[in-house]
Formats: sequence, C-alpha cells, structure tokens
Amino acid sequence: MRSLQSKLGYGLTLSLIAVFTVLWFLVSLNIQYLAEEYIASRLRHDAEMLLSTIHFDKAGNLGMDESTIDLVYSKPFSGHYYFITSGNQTMSSRSLWDQQLGSVLVKAGDQISNYQDGPDNQLLLVISNGFIKQGYPLSVTVAEDLNPVKRNIRQFQTRFAITAIVMLLLLVVLQALILRHSMKSLSRIHEELQSLQQGEANQLNADAPTELRPLVNEINHLLVVMEQRLRRSRDALGDLAHAVKRPLTIIQQLTDKNRNALPADLNAGLVRQVTEINQLTDRILKRARLAGHGHSSARFSFLHDLPQLIETLDIIYNDKSIANQVDFPEEANCPIDREDMLELLGNLLDNAYKWANKRVNITVAINPELTICIEDDGPGTDPNRFEQLDKRGVRLDETKKGYGFGLSIASDIVREYSGTLLFSTSNTLGGFRVDITLPIEGVFINPKDK
Amino acid sequence: MRLLLAEDDLDLVAILKKDLETAGYAVDVADNGIDAEYLGNEAIYDVAVLDLGLPRRNGIEVLNNWRAKGNNLPVVVLTARNAWHERVEGLKVGADDYLGKPFHVEELLARLTALLHRTSQQPGGTLRVCNMVLDEERQNVTTTDGLSHKLTGTEFRLLRYLLLHPGKVLSKSELTDHIYDQDSDKDSNIIEVYIRRLRKLMGNDCIETRRGQGYVFRDH
Repeated sequence: MRSLQSKLGYGLTLSLIAVFTVLWFLVSLNIQYLAEEYIASRLRHDAEMLLSTIHFDKAGNLGMDESTIDLVYSKPFSGHYYFITSGNQTMSSRSLWDQQLGSVLVKAGDQISNYQDGPDNQLLLVISNGFIKQGYPLSVTVAEDLNPVKRNIRQFQTRFAITAIVMLLLLVVLQALILRHSMKSLSRIHEELQSLQQGEANQLNADAPTELRPLVNEINHLLVVMEQRLRRSRDALGDLAHAVKRPLTIIQQLTDKNRNALPADLNAGLVRQVTEINQLTDRILKRARLAGHGHSSARFSFLHDLPQLIETLDIIYNDKSIANQVDFPEEANCPIDREDMLELLGNLLDNAYKWANKRVNITVAINPELTICIEDDGPGTDPNRFEQLDKRGVRLDETKKGYGFGLSIASDIVREYSGTLLFSTSNTLGGFRVDITLPIEGVFINPKDK
Repeated sequence: MRLLLAEDDLDLVAILKKDLETAGYAVDVADNGIDAEYLGNEAIYDVAVLDLGLPRRNGIEVLNNWRAKGNNLPVVVLTARNAWHERVEGLKVGADDYLGKPFHVEELLARLTALLHRTSQQPGGTLRVCNMVLDEERQNVTTTDGLSHKLTGTEFRLLRYLLLHPGKVLSKSELTDHIYDQDSDKDSNIIEVYIRRLRKLMGNDCIETRRGQGYVFRDH
C-alpha cells in the first residue's frame, strides 16, 4: 500500500487543482457576460439619444441634428456606429465611412441583438431597436466593437490564472508541511518499532496520537503476553528437565556403582538407554526453548556475552588451557535472542574446546549477513563425514552419543533462524571448522537507508 | 577436606555421600537453599557441591549471597538444566566449576580434585611436596625413599589437607574441622595419634609441632 502521506498529498493537490480550474472558468464567463451586458445597456442609451435627435419634416423626410451626437460616431472606423432606417430612407454614422451594417427592420418596441463582423476586423455587438416617431416607424441600429473589451478580459484571465497558480502552489506546500507535521508521530512510532526489533527497547511509547493509541496499546499488550508465555514455557521446560534428570542421575549412579554386580551386557544396555533418554530430553527441550525470530527479549551482545561465554569454557576446560583469538566488529550486537545465541555458540565452542589441542579461533563478521567462524587445532573430521554431520539433526534417532550431539543442537538453532551451518577443515589451524551464516539483513539495516 | 553437599534429592545424596567419603571427603548435607547458605558461611568447608534447583532458595541466589558476603568457598555447580546461558549465569555469579546432570561420580571427583589444587595453587594432576607424591585416587603416598605406602581413610584426609596447605600453621581444631563431618565424634587428641603415624611414614622433619599453636607442614 502507498504511504498515507503521499496518498493524502496527491488527493489534496488534485482537488485543489480542480477547484481552482472551475473557479477560473466561472469567473471568466461571468466577467465576459457582465462586460457585454454593460456595453449593451450603453448602446441602448445611445439609441435613445439618437432617437431624440431624429426628426421628420413635413414631407416625411428623415433628418437629424448631428451637432449633439457624440464625436466618436464621426471618427472613421472608431468602433462606434449607428445606422437608421425608416421605410426606404437610411442614415448612417460617419464612422462607418463606406461600410454598411446589416440591419433588419424591427417592429416598434422590439429589440434584436447579434454579433457581426465589422470593418478593420472588428467584432461588433449590434443592437437594433424599433421605434415610432411623429407617426413614422423607424429602426435604430447601434454597434460597438467588442475587441478592446475582449482584450481586457483576456488580460484579466491571464492575471487571474497566474494568481491562482501561485496560490495553488503555496497551498500545496502548506498542506505538505501540515501533513509532514502530523505524520511525525507516525515516524516516531516507526523508529520505536525498529529499536523494538533490534532489542533495544521492549515496549512502545504509549504516548501516541489518539488514532494510534489502541494499536500501540495492543502491541504492548501482545509483547507482554509473548514475553510471559516464553518465560513460562521456558520455566516449565526447565522444571521438566529437572524432573527427568533426577531419576536419570540416580540410574546412572546405580549403573556406575553396580558395574561389577550386573551382567556386562545388561549394564551396557542400561547405560546406553540412560544416555539416549538424556540426550533426547536435552535436544527436545532445547529445541522447544528456542525463542526464534521476531521476539524482543534480551538480545545477544558480542561485546558483553561472548567474553563471558569464553570465560565459562576456559573454566570448564581449565585442564587444557586453550588459547583463543576472538575477532568481532565494534558494533556487532545482533538481533538474535541472547539465550539462543549462547546455546548456539556454547555448543559449537564446547565442541571446539573438546577437540582442540591449544588453540580456538572465533571470527565474527557482518557483510551484511552475520557470519561466525569457529576453528580449532584438533584432529578435525574426515571430509566425507561433513555432510553426514549436518544431516544428523534431521532425525532424532540418528543422533548418537557424544560427538555431534552439540552440533545437531546448533544446527536446530541455525535452522530456526533460517541460516546455514557449514563444516570444513580449518586452513589456518588444521582442525575442525564451522561456519555459521545467519540472515539478519531485514532487521539489521534501517529500512530508510535502502 | 570438608565438603558441603547442597542437594535435595535424597536418593542421589545417599549415593554421592558414600562415594565422596570413600574419596576422602568429610561430607555435610544441606537439602534446601537456606540451610545451604547458612552452612556455607561457616568457615569450615574446603569446597561445596551446589545443586541449582534447591527448594526454598535456588542455587544461583545462594551462590550470589555467599559471594556478596565475600565468601570465596570454591563451588562446583550441579544442574539438570544444561542450557548454556545458565552455565554462563552460574559462573558469572561466582561458580568455580560446572557439572551437568546426569554425571559420572568419577568426573565429579576429578573436578573436585582439580578445583582444590587450583585454589591452593598446586597445579598439576598429583600433589607433590618436598619429593613426596600423594596419589589421591589410590590414596597412597610415595615417600622420598621411593616406597609406596597405603594410607587409611583418616591418614589420607589429614595428609591431603596438610599437603594442600604447606607452610601454614594448622591448629588441631582446624584440622578436625576439615577432616571430619558434623556427625563424627570429634576428639582432638586423635589428631595427635594420626600426626604421629604420618611422621612414622615420612620422617619427623616433615611435620613440625608449634607448641600451643598447632602443626606446620614443611614445604622444603
């Protein structure tokens, strides 16, 4: 879906353009109408003025007192014309020169108006009036050139259009500013969601605009519920582990103790079963514990958690005194659940420490996937078995004791995060090498930077 | 060596206690967190085996409280929850070693020995002081003349304690505290009897008597 901001922006701009266009048309039409109406009423006055100067002598000849007529009717092609007919007598203004106005006989009291082409490319508004004077019917036709008025109207239209466009632009800018301001709270929530994904925050700020508050509250509520549910199920699984391990520990101690009293095959069988139950419970519980993607509980930090994990391994393997080299970029905190990552690295490093003679190397890089490489200088594994190691996690009953068990848990975790686990022989140290690749791009990079 | 076993599973305690005693530890048991914390603060223990899933107060809390009080008792943590974050958590609050359940007693014993050697700055697999070698697994001692002697339970405990604290003045009551558990009959005169027996084995020079103070094991 397109962003709300651009949707609102486009909508408002389009409706403003429509409103201004309609306004421009209405105003132009009205101005034209008013101007012509004004000219027409002046022409009617002129016609009445002309009528007052007309007289018929006793023989019925048409005469006119030209001294009282406006000078504009005397100047040739001035744009103001008259033409008077009575029976077969005609009189026309001097301004018409040798031209004639097309005129019709109009009955007394009637009025006809039309447009005609005049001299000099003039467009004339022509009004003919019918009168009766001294008992003689006559029609007085007056005309005026519309071109000067039209020119003014066109000028007005241009000015009006320019003003309208400037105002339109101002309004668009103004509404964009208003929109951006109102959307600010949305972008704040967007930022909060990001820090939520990266595990920097575990709640959204409830101080959201009224329209969004139910959404924010609901998200916060879900976060709390998810956190509680994960915590509860992890606690329950821990308790279950505890409950199962107790009898297993006892059976193990009893088989250890009665090694010589029991028949060898019976004892071996018991030991095998105990080990298997133990590993199955461990594996299933660990898989069930995984938080996986999209949860906002504590995130793993290479800066804080990795040194502690290595210290732990140093203590567990204190009889070996393994030297380790750890490389990770400054800002390498990853959006992966802390407990999941500790379990993943713990199992892999445990394996490395178990087989290493003197050295274990850990290299972390972000490019842009998270890659972790763990190498040791132990005996390594036959390259033909690498594939088999990876597949160990596929079916539980293939998981055999000891070596590889930690690897299958690691592969469960990596699969949960849709990453890959690659086994090979270390070039630098000569032992076993594990490469983990975890896609974190979507969560790690700010979507704005894309 | 006096050992505090904080574990609430009585079946496991019954087995472990016997094994630990055979291995030369004087074992006291606490079956809940509050007792465990209280006992651990008595300065008589050399090492503690602490189950994290204790009732009434969990192991992490007990360990945290000990360390907060400046109690540096070496602790091996036992837990059924084999999650790595818990191991990291346990060692962060001050555990010295870690063992996941279920485990073999041999592994626990090996870890305890290694931990005790580490805390008394005696690295290496065997205790070796002034050309004398103590085999902690077989509980016998090879003296300067190259002869190997089998030790009785109490002799072994006493000698091991002396060897782990060379050059220090050890009073009779301290020695009784560290080689007998709380249910034993503590007669400090019996220490004199055992010291005499050890001197007979290794010569008089090894253990010096400081009148009114106690004994010193010479480390040179």
